[in-house]
Amino acid sequence: MAGSENPNIEEIPEEASVPDDEDLVLRSQQGDVRAFDELVEKYHGKIYGLTYNMTSNREDAEDLTQEVFVKAFEALPRFRGNSSFYTWLYRIAVNKTINYRKKRNRKRTLSLDQFDQEIKGDDVYHDLTAKGSPLRSMSLSELQEKLNEALQHLSEKHRTVVVMHDMQGIPHEEIAKVVKASVGTVRSRLFYARRQMQTELTEFMK
Amino acid sequence: MMEKSDNMETTSEDPADVLLRQLFHLKGYETPETARMIRNKQNIMRQVREVSSRNHWNLSDLLEVNIPWFFAEPRYGIAALFVVFATLQFWGISTNKQADGKTGIYSGDRGIAMAGQNTGVYTNSVSYPKLPDSLTLFAEKQGDSSIKPVGSFGPKK
Repeated sequence: MAGSENPNIEEIPEEASVPDDEDLVLRSQQGDVRAFDELVEKYHGKIYGLTYNMTSNREDAEDLTQEVFVKAFEALPRFRGNSSFYTWLYRIAVNKTINYRKKRNRKRTLSLDQFDQEIKGDDVYHDLTAKGSPLRSMSLSELQEKLNEALQHLSEKHRTVVVMHDMQGIPHEEIAKVVKASVGTVRSRLFYARRQMQTELTEFMK
Repeated sequence: MMEKSDNMETTSEDPADVLLRQLFHLKGYETPETARMIRNKQNIMRQVREVSSRNHWNLSDLLEVNIPWFFAEPRYGIAALFVVFATLQFWGISTNKQADGKTGIYSGDRGIAMAGQNTGVYTNSVSYPKLPDSLTLFAEKQGDSSIKPVGSFGPKK
């Protein structure tokens, strides 16, 4: 697909970031709060992205991001480096988000971030709004709302893999480590989640 | 990023599939306000500092950080504890042997006997320095005293 590179997806520079993270984690474990600040700077965007896409609510995402980092700081003395700090942090974020949503099951509302103005320069945007496109008649915000609703109708397990893979660009292997499942399970969840979303969106566009 | 080798996910190029990918792609343009993100980061850092100042590290945390192998491999930890225990026992026994009979009444029969023999008489009187004989502390009675007795303490006649 032309121009299918997601602008907000960052590749995980795993090999390059490992020594840095190790050093920062070690210093944080020894009580250096500034080292932890650097970890917050480094991973804040990714964790916010995960919690935002999981909840489709920016206020909840902000609260959750805050809780995730504070929880990580509190649990840092028990982090033994069996996995990378990044995987460990993501695991905390996924668990926190799932628990948070279970608690607030009946009070789900959408509260979405605005689209960046750069979207108008994107090829995909032009394709979707071109003449003959089924989405031509829809406003962008309407479409955004529908997509987020469809996302929220997925189960927690399925939404987690869709968000991590399709929106954040995390490879299957990394997702498997975070959710503590096999790579095959991750792939099948992804397949099922996409099918479910396609069905829902197709119904909407009829 | 979509992986080309992912057979399961790219079996069909059906329009719904393409559309979904396009929508996910556009979702990437949903960006949070910078000011809100900065405030959020500041809140996190403030909370972290509060937690840090509240949590004085206890002994177990310090041990966990400084000797993580002890907790990661419990059998080695238990073995190390046993070695420490055995060393302390050995050290305690050898110290007792060296000190036998040299301490107070708890060290053995000899000690008790010694405590029994030491039965001198002690008083808590204070000894004052002896003054030379030529020195008189109080002058003798002169007879020309302005103080006169007003009565006698003897039996009445």
